[in-house]
Amino acid sequence: MSWWSRLLLAARFVRREIVSGELTILALALLVAVTALTSVSFFSDRVERALTTQATQLLAADLVLNGNQPAPAAIRQEAQRRGLQLADNISFPSMVFAQGQATLATYKAVSNHYPLRGEMTVRGADGQPSTGVLHPAAGTAWADARLLRKLGLKLGDRISVGNSSLLLSGEILREPDGAMDLYNFVPRLMFNSADLAATGLIQEGSRARWRLMLAGDDRQISAFRQWLGQHLPAGSRLENVEEARPEIRTALERARRFLGLTAMLTVALAAAAVALAVRRYLARHWQPVAVLRCMGLTSSEVLGLFVCLFLLLGLLSGALGALAGYAVQLGLMQLSSRFVGEVLPDPGWHSWLLGPAASLLLLAGLALPPLLAIRNVSPLAVLRNDVVLVRSNLLAPLAALLALLALAAWQMDDVSLAAWLLAGMTAFFAGVALLAWGMLWLLRRLPAAPRTGWRYGVANLARRPWLAIVQIVALAVGIMALLTLTVVRDDLISAWQHSIPPDAPNKFVINIQQNQRAALRDRFAVAGLQQPELSPMIRGRLIAINDKPLRPSALADERARRLAEREFNLSWRDDLPQGNRLVAGSWWQGKAKPQFSVEQGLAGTLGIRLGDTLAFDIGGSTYRARVTSLRAVAWDSFRVNFFVLAPPSLLQQQPASWISSFRLEGAQEEFANRLVAAFPNITIIDVSAILDEVRAMVDKLTRAIEAMFVLALAAGVLVLWAALAATRDERLSDIAVMRALGASRAQLRAVVLAELAWLGAFTGLLAALGAMGIGGIAAGKLFNLPWSVNFYLLPIGMACGVVVVTLAGWPLVGRVARASPLAILRAGQ
Amino acid sequence: MTPIDNKAVLSAQNLAKQVVFNGEPLNILHAASLSVGPGESVAIVGASGSGKSTLLSLLAGLDQPSSGEVALFGQSLAGLNEDGRALLRRDKVGFVFQNFQLMPQLTALENVMLPLELAGRKDARDSASQMLTHVGLGQRLRHYPRHLSGGEQQRVALARAFAIHPGILFADEPTGNLDAATGRQIIDLLFQLNSEQHTSLVLVTHDNELASRCDAIYRLVDGRLNGARA
Repeated sequence: MSWWSRLLLAARFVRREIVSGELTILALALLVAVTALTSVSFFSDRVERALTTQATQLLAADLVLNGNQPAPAAIRQEAQRRGLQLADNISFPSMVFAQGQATLATYKAVSNHYPLRGEMTVRGADGQPSTGVLHPAAGTAWADARLLRKLGLKLGDRISVGNSSLLLSGEILREPDGAMDLYNFVPRLMFNSADLAATGLIQEGSRARWRLMLAGDDRQISAFRQWLGQHLPAGSRLENVEEARPEIRTALERARRFLGLTAMLTVALAAAAVALAVRRYLARHWQPVAVLRCMGLTSSEVLGLFVCLFLLLGLLSGALGALAGYAVQLGLMQLSSRFVGEVLPDPGWHSWLLGPAASLLLLAGLALPPLLAIRNVSPLAVLRNDVVLVRSNLLAPLAALLALLALAAWQMDDVSLAAWLLAGMTAFFAGVALLAWGMLWLLRRLPAAPRTGWRYGVANLARRPWLAIVQIVALAVGIMALLTLTVVRDDLISAWQHSIPPDAPNKFVINIQQNQRAALRDRFAVAGLQQPELSPMIRGRLIAINDKPLRPSALADERARRLAEREFNLSWRDDLPQGNRLVAGSWWQGKAKPQFSVEQGLAGTLGIRLGDTLAFDIGGSTYRARVTSLRAVAWDSFRVNFFVLAPPSLLQQQPASWISSFRLEGAQEEFANRLVAAFPNITIIDVSAILDEVRAMVDKLTRAIEAMFVLALAAGVLVLWAALAATRDERLSDIAVMRALGASRAQLRAVVLAELAWLGAFTGLLAALGAMGIGGIAAGKLFNLPWSVNFYLLPIGMACGVVVVTLAGWPLVGRVARASPLAILRAGQ
Repeated sequence: MTPIDNKAVLSAQNLAKQVVFNGEPLNILHAASLSVGPGESVAIVGASGSGKSTLLSLLAGLDQPSSGEVALFGQSLAGLNEDGRALLRRDKVGFVFQNFQLMPQLTALENVMLPLELAGRKDARDSASQMLTHVGLGQRLRHYPRHLSGGEQQRVALARAFAIHPGILFADEPTGNLDAATGRQIIDLLFQLNSEQHTSLVLVTHDNELASRCDAIYRLVDGRLNGARA
């Protein structure tokens, strides 16, 4: 056959298959799979974009080049040539003098377009706060409350900044890129960069950070980021909000994991529906294939026909599914707009591509392996009237798994995370499947139920154990998601919110001297406040790992390089700090022994392993000790946390300053001022604004995750439908036989309802167990809360399962009433 | 038109079935009449497509005629709804199908218990197991249909049909899916059970040799029934 005639044959074949309605179920399964997938993708893409937007506001730009020199003119020109917006931000520590007093402050000189992203809130001389893209005009300066308080300044005063005198015209209430480093927080003075030269403060060797701020659209920014990567000046680095703000990074990473997991669940469930539909389609086409082979088509020509068919089907349902996914996502947005509360950015182009790509991937993974078996269909099958079963081999599940992994990696942009999730999910599915299998086995061996309907319902389930297990697993996962949200929610989601407890500290105090501790505690006692926990803080530089000197310049990773360059804050204490969790090793074994406990993220970045020996240079002496434990730290708990801890015996003798955190409510704010007045050397850092931001972010993410869990449940119901459709012929034939044997409608209905009810009860039971497990793990591992077992979940889960499954299967019950016993007489002929 | 025979187990008068195909009325069955007395066996023979299965489905109350009337055990089917007809079948009618139609999810024993349980019989298990022993499958009660040969499956089907001691048995090509030797054994068993239980039999077949073992033979040609008592 020529290629052209083959193509014509394929086209006619595809048209007939589509017209005959044989493909409807598969196409629908695929369509829904893609719809579920793309709606999640669109939704999470938009939510992520909203988050990134919010995050860039924390940088006050999309991209920041941070250097110890002004950015080279070549870079500025290139940025302007590319149409990017530019702004400057130069910061350095220096003394501020006013009213005969002096204090150390961070100066921040900003250019006219600052801030490029986010908004500035300033209180003017009229006492009214104003918000917007604001910066001090030339000749004026803005100070924050701490500086005003410290120097007893008021708006309208003049202050000396180097050789210049500036008019104090505003109080900084909130700056978008403020508080980039919690532990180096000192009073802030902001002025226009036009005045910088006149101050004479910037000279050779000044410790200034020059930040070139850039903003533009996504493509421009990512292209420029790449270009900059190759043209990075010495002593410069790109700033990234996720690195700058550990508490934001933690929230983002958690959200990404949650969203990724839900998306993966939906994909997995949808894939199960597609797999069921493909099996049914191919099982029904064995005979026609044999006929085609009889008519002289070679096995590869037959395969070609079906591959063409599936390719077309995949592209069509993929495109339609992407459209439907977009529509679903719009509805989702509508639903959650009350919570998300703002206009979200448009989704990126890759979500549109995801539709057809996902559809083809699903088919390649799930349909290709069984399709290949079509080559082995013998023309003899026509004569023998054999029913050839779709043989399952190892190839099919493996291919499906790979297809899933590819999809997940695409969606999450992170192969290793996707692989872990997939592995975890496979194990989870296998566990649930095993439980389901065990229950079926047990049920089949229990003494017969007295009610006929119940018994035959159970037998129907046990007849197709694999199908029953697939249905149970798929639905259980969906219902579990629902239960987790509605019932375990308090334990899980709000536990996440509780990781930033309502009484989270909103003030940090640093620079407390050894001899001030008792007096400071007294102040708290007198004010009727809870005693703050004081932690010693010792600056030290990591100089060697396993006696190998640490050379920052030799480190490949930029973040590692920066960590190695700077001084660490070390601390010593007896017990594991609250909010910390051991992930490796054990807490001090013999407190007299020198040893370190290292935060796991830092250990990962610097390549520190349990048992390694670290050497720190602290005040000129070298401290050597082995790492005996690694800790996970809840950075978003807003408690005082340290990268490296030692037992008291090791570092107690070192001079230390002390740090603490505490919470003040509105009326108590004055206490902070009194504290500063009493201990002028201490610095109080206010983190209320950051706290509020993080809390708002967590709230939004929670809503997004809820919406996606509902989608996962919908995908679970789809699997049930696909399974019911796949067994429709068998069921109708069963029903017809029973009808011929004289079963009444009520009896038939009882059989179907019993099957659905058992299915629902199993599903609900497993879902409840799963939800309990998730609640337990989340409470114990993620949030360090005591684990309480909610046994009431079991009846709730079962009831929920019965309701969902019965509702989903109701069309089948309706069909029973219309079933004609005549069907079986026809079936044999 | 002959009146309905009240002594007959099955009596059909002027049965016709018309379907609409591609907008045109199509007569699959023309004015068929027959009656079957207690313990009597009747064969309906005809070529493929002659309307045998249609006739059988009308006689057994699985389908409704376009015109004419069927009475089972003196009761007209016309006055009964689907559930009413099902009730009649449940208590007094047995079926044997060409492709066995056993429930794959049920064991041999459970398949035979099914009609007994549908009828609410308390001794379903004992009766079914006796019946299976009677057809020679006493050792295979717990086997599923997929583990049984074609002949064994049809034996289970026979046990299921006779378990309720039906007044009449409808058999649709009972040996159609079996080899000749197995087919003969099944037919022997069918006639043996039939005479033991004094059941009336309506046997649809295209096998003339098989038909000749019945008391009466009807030939169906192009939807017309030509009666001929042996």
